[in-house]
Amino acid sequence: MDNLIKVQDMCKIYNPGENEVRALDHVNLEIQRGEFVAIIGHSGSGKSTLMNMLGCLDVPTSGTYYLNGKDVSSLKDNQLSEIRNQEIGFIFQGFNLIANLTALENVELPLIYRGIGRSQRHKLAKEALIRVGLEKRIDHKPSEMSGGQQQRVAIARAIAAEPPVILADEPTGNLDSASTGEIMDILKGLHGLGRSVILITHDNEIADQAKRVVRILDGRIVEDYRNSEKKAQEA
Amino acid sequence: MGNIAEYIKMAFKNITANKGRSFLTMLGIIIGISSVIMVMAVGDGTANAMNAEVQDLGTGQINVYCSDDAVNTEEWMTPEDITALKEKIEGVEGATPNDGASGTTVTGKGEFSLNLSGGTEDLQKSMNFNIKRGSYFTAADVEEGNRVCVLTDSDAKRLFGSDDVVGMDIEVDIGGISSSYRIVGVTQQKENTSFISYTYEGMPVSLDVPYTSFSNFGWESNSFYSVTVFSNDQASGEEVSRDIIHTLETRHHCAGEDYYQIQSFQDMLSEMNDMLAIVTTFISCVAAISLIVGGIGVMNIMLVSVTERTREIGIRKSLGAKTSSILLQFLAEAAILTILGGIIGILLGLLGAVGACKLMTASMGSAISPGIKASTILGATLFSCGIGVFFGIYPARKAAKLSPIEALRRN
Repeated sequence: MDNLIKVQDMCKIYNPGENEVRALDHVNLEIQRGEFVAIIGHSGSGKSTLMNMLGCLDVPTSGTYYLNGKDVSSLKDNQLSEIRNQEIGFIFQGFNLIANLTALENVELPLIYRGIGRSQRHKLAKEALIRVGLEKRIDHKPSEMSGGQQQRVAIARAIAAEPPVILADEPTGNLDSASTGEIMDILKGLHGLGRSVILITHDNEIADQAKRVVRILDGRIVEDYRNSEKKAQEA
Repeated sequence: MGNIAEYIKMAFKNITANKGRSFLTMLGIIIGISSVIMVMAVGDGTANAMNAEVQDLGTGQINVYCSDDAVNTEEWMTPEDITALKEKIEGVEGATPNDGASGTTVTGKGEFSLNLSGGTEDLQKSMNFNIKRGSYFTAADVEEGNRVCVLTDSDAKRLFGSDDVVGMDIEVDIGGISSSYRIVGVTQQKENTSFISYTYEGMPVSLDVPYTSFSNFGWESNSFYSVTVFSNDQASGEEVSRDIIHTLETRHHCAGEDYYQIQSFQDMLSEMNDMLAIVTTFISCVAAISLIVGGIGVMNIMLVSVTERTREIGIRKSLGAKTSSILLQFLAEAAILTILGGIIGILLGLLGAVGACKLMTASMGSAISPGIKASTILGATLFSCGIGVFFGIYPARKAAKLSPIEALRRN
């Protein structure tokens, strides 16, 4: 079976020349289908850069990136848009919902850009909102919902189009502990259904809830372990 | 990529979500288009009304006058010249000297200044009046130098409080000499002639009198600086003019001296039209500038809107919107705003034109209907849509080209 994600020798250098910053330094990473991986690191460690690369929001300076069997490391802007739309469901720290659209309309957005017809779109978006427990908030605007509810709308948006990868960037960073629990339960539930979930975080407790942890420091991967193995070792 | 209908729906949603901003954007376009349409409609309407009036007045009037070279009164036109012009030139129906004097009169209503126009019985032809009571003075009156006069019903009312004044006398005082004129006719203004015979309170009372009657005031009218010739409809103005000059030069033995000059009504009409066209062009330019300013307003609001919504653009791009999708969304917004503004502008412009024409009709007593042309409306609409698309492209491109990371980072 192909790897879902295969990163080889990836570098990202900002300001090439005098004051260059090596945000990613020869990173190699493989993620299989159905994994639940936490990428953990301090701020400035390069984890956000890695997330941008994995999410096809940016292209690496060198190295290759195979996503779902396709080399996406040298695609143009519009091709990257298409890949993001087809392959990736984003969940952001700041929710990133559009303020003047209702929950349903927000969830429909990636489906619109995929060119899915109106009735099919409504059906998929509704199903996704029901799955995150927001069937009663379908016509609410983001401003009428709590942070936890907004993040659940964002999760519904990420899963509505059934992309192979769910990429969550500090999804609980702006939430209280109760909402954090809810969001993590939803993510674990998605993993239980066989989805591949990649979680970017700086929080060890959050990372502990994933199946596999990849620790990044100064643009390099310094640790890569399974939580189950680690617990076994510690025991 | 979705279809165009989705982007138009998105654009509508955004426009209604930001009503204040959308209205301000449209305002520039509304003012621009409505002022263009209003100015054009009122301008064309006025020109049409003036043309109709002047045409109605008789295109056959030819004014003959002596040039500055004719310093000697010997070269001025005599009553015999006038008779010759009338009798010898084919197509000429009448001729009258343009003689005049100012005086005063006192009636039961007070003191009035008078404007006496002296002429032959043909002076009647130059009027845009119909006879209401009595009759115009005759050739016999002119021959005998009778002190008779014709005036308008409105002047009669000013002098006597009634227009039933035929047979009454007016005591005319010119330079201290007083003479009594009998009223033989009262005229009435033709409809829709207010541009040419605009009257106001305090304006002198006009009397038409036989030029020969001026001898009562101590001077003989036997040479004239200016004469009006009336040709019939079939006659060619150019031929008649040539014949007039030839006849006069022969009679005064001054061929080729350019003593006599001609101004026909057609000349005046085209001069007037030229002037009107210049004014209309000027006002249209001002209106066009306001259209362009409106367009720049649209561009600025679109720029602000793009800056405000950078994050939204980032979100949309991260969810898979292509550059073309974002471009289409913003273009659709700009186009909808300008088309809506255009429609409102057209309606307001038409309403304004009708209103302005009603006002002018009421105040001037001359019916002006707005000259609304499909080409003006079409042009203004196309222009507004063009501005919307043109000025929408720059901010839309700027928005669409942003990298999603950069757009998401901004707040």
